[in-house]
Amino acid sequence: MEHINILIVEDKPQQSEVLVQILEENNFNIVGVATTFKEAVALFYAEHVDIAIIDIFLHDRPDGIAFAEFIDAQPNGLKPFLFLTSATSRDIFERAKLTKPFGYIVKPYNELELIYAIENTIEKFYGQEDSFSGEDENTIISEDHLFIKKGKSLKKVHVDQIILIAVEEKYCNIITEKEKFVILISLVKILELLDENKFYRTHRNFIVNIQKIEEIIPQDNLILLEGEYTATLSGKYKDDIINKFRTLK
Amino acid sequence: MYLKINCIFFIILFIFPYSLLSQKNAKDFVFKEKISEGLLQLENFNYTSKITTFFINDQPDSTLVYTTKAFNTETINTKLSDYYNFLRGFSFYKKGVLIEAEKELLKVSTDFKYYYTVIAFLGTVTLESSQFEKALNYFKQLEYIPDEELLTIKSAKVKDNIGVCYLHLEKYEEAERYLKESLRLIAQLQDTIRLTSAYGNLANLYYEQYKDNQAIPLFEKAYALAKTTNDFTSKKHTALNMSVVEENRKELAKALQYRKEYEQWTDSINNQSKIYATVEAEKKIAVEKKEKEVAILKADNDVKLAQRNTYLYSAIILFVMLGVSLYFYREKVQRNKIIKQQNEDLDDLNATKDKLFSIVSHDLRSSVNAIKTSNKKLVQTLESEQLTKVNHLLQNNSTIVNNAYSLLDNLLNWALLQTKQAFFQATNLRLAHTVEHVACNYKAILADKNISFTNEVHKKDIVYADKESLKIVLRNLIDNAIKFSNPKDAIRVYTQNDNSELCQLIVEDTGMGMSEATRKELLKDTSLLAKKQHEDIIGTGLGMQLCKSMIKKNNGTFSIESKLGKGTKMIISLPKRPT
Repeated sequence: MEHINILIVEDKPQQSEVLVQILEENNFNIVGVATTFKEAVALFYAEHVDIAIIDIFLHDRPDGIAFAEFIDAQPNGLKPFLFLTSATSRDIFERAKLTKPFGYIVKPYNELELIYAIENTIEKFYGQEDSFSGEDENTIISEDHLFIKKGKSLKKVHVDQIILIAVEEKYCNIITEKEKFVILISLVKILELLDENKFYRTHRNFIVNIQKIEEIIPQDNLILLEGEYTATLSGKYKDDIINKFRTLK
Repeated sequence: MYLKINCIFFIILFIFPYSLLSQKNAKDFVFKEKISEGLLQLENFNYTSKITTFFINDQPDSTLVYTTKAFNTETINTKLSDYYNFLRGFSFYKKGVLIEAEKELLKVSTDFKYYYTVIAFLGTVTLESSQFEKALNYFKQLEYIPDEELLTIKSAKVKDNIGVCYLHLEKYEEAERYLKESLRLIAQLQDTIRLTSAYGNLANLYYEQYKDNQAIPLFEKAYALAKTTNDFTSKKHTALNMSVVEENRKELAKALQYRKEYEQWTDSINNQSKIYATVEAEKKIAVEKKEKEVAILKADNDVKLAQRNTYLYSAIILFVMLGVSLYFYREKVQRNKIIKQQNEDLDDLNATKDKLFSIVSHDLRSSVNAIKTSNKKLVQTLESEQLTKVNHLLQNNSTIVNNAYSLLDNLLNWALLQTKQAFFQATNLRLAHTVEHVACNYKAILADKNISFTNEVHKKDIVYADKESLKIVLRNLIDNAIKFSNPKDAIRVYTQNDNSELCQLIVEDTGMGMSEATRKELLKDTSLLAKKQHEDIIGTGLGMQLCKSMIKKNNGTFSIESKLGKGTKMIISLPKRPT
């Protein structure tokens, strides 16, 4: 699992120091702290950013909003961002709202509020609200990553690294090249959100990454996967899989 | 010569048909009486009696005037109009206005009681106006009517007139026969005037036929007879005849004498045209007067109508104006009321604000002062390197600053709320998270004061509210709970979710509680600031007021349950979904 990359756009060092401290304590990876619009743009292009935290006022100018507009204008690189503001002034909020932020946080904030705001922003951005804040789930699935809430901290896993998903009632065991872990998500949702060209269901309880398949043994109803993992192939999905597999190979 | 005679005849011929009725004899009176009786028997109209009197008294002018009046002013039935027309004809005839007389007489209907008399008059009138054929026609109708029906007109006279007609039509034989017959009859009647005219007529007949020998004695006889009477007309005519005769006999001196006599008699009679003009003028005046009256009445009506319309319009306008002014008056009264109310409210608010300022500044001043003294102490302690004491002092400072901060925070939020600048966006909110986030700030204080805090809000409880304002409310409630709790007390936040529309969020403490009076005071809408009863415990009341306003803005309700010494329950009810 990897840390979430955060870009901070904040002009005041005391503020950003506190922010960085809290975020690092919570296992987030800070890719950089930008104090101006220019720096922010440079960092946004240079680093792989998962989420940006933007102070609305940079040097007493609402450049934060300008940066949000810049992110909004990225055709493919649109990323979730949230505003940091000290004023509960309506005018600024109305203006900030036009950039369609996925969250905002009002200063002063505490640790819980900040983490919650970040989680909430990611939920909103991927259209999977209540995934973290509800009781039943802890994972958000994007095109490239799974965002998983583990305890207080938030982690991500690249979907291409997943070899096998084994479903156990409400839980899913995710097996990657490096590790194994359990996430809370319904089978229905995971099937709906994962790329159907990459992940196939082979059994009531198994989903495999088609690129990690090494061998299919139909007579034994077995699929051999990378890292010596195996998955069961049930009659219901057998023909389907074999057909697809052949066409692909 | 012949021409001259003819010319003379023309003049003479006017003369003799006259006096179908003789004015001065008893018969005339009988005639008038009969007509009057007939008239008075009819319905009694305004002018009837007057007209009758004038008629009897031979005042044709007055008769004419009053009949005109009667016609103008009264609705008259046929019978009465027959009488009137007859009287008018008679009067005109008397005045010698023959054309008018004929017109009036022709208006009389055939049903008239004395219709033969009318015909007789028509005959006389037409004869006198030289319409001999017409006259002959009228008189012929009467020739065989017995005297009784002719009402005092004698058949002798009728015959005389027929004779005159024939004479003028130059049917001499017929004329001689009738004239002689009439002369015979008139002679029996011993009516001198008629006799005069009868002689005159016969004389004319002969004279016309140049039978001078027969004619002249008759002229002379007529002249002699006329002299015995008082009738100017007879005298005039006989004199004229004599003058013509003498002139033709070349007895010019005599002719002149007769002519003078004739002139004398003519003068006596000849005022008639003037009188006629008077009558016409009178009539005209009456008509004009009537027309004027009508015009005046019409104008009057127009004026009245215009006046009425004016009154109506002005009444309507006045009414509308009254309504409008009433409306505006009421509006004004209402506005004034509102303004007065607003003024009072503003005064209250202003007073509140002033009070708020004084309390807040007092609080802040004490806080800052406390820090000032504490800092002095801190410096001293640091110099003597008593680190545990330093830590204690720092914690103390932090508490003071926290308190001051929450006061300022409330002040800011209050200001934002009052100026309507606060950003407000209601969303679906998980209460558990919100409570947790707020409570996070109090961990240190709670631990310090040794108060236990539990967040028992269920993760599934969701309300529809604005996050920031709800946080302000929660901060204040938890703040209060801590403030009014003693060490080892417990604060519990939990929900009661048994209503489909509302979710109740309860902040409960086991602290000192409050009296019923305080509770009521806190819940009062207008009460803003409780007086500072004792230092450090009762605040400005600003927090409470802010809570109430924020909850109201979130469409929620707020209530307090408390028992002195046992603890307090602050209950917020919030809608679960947009209302």
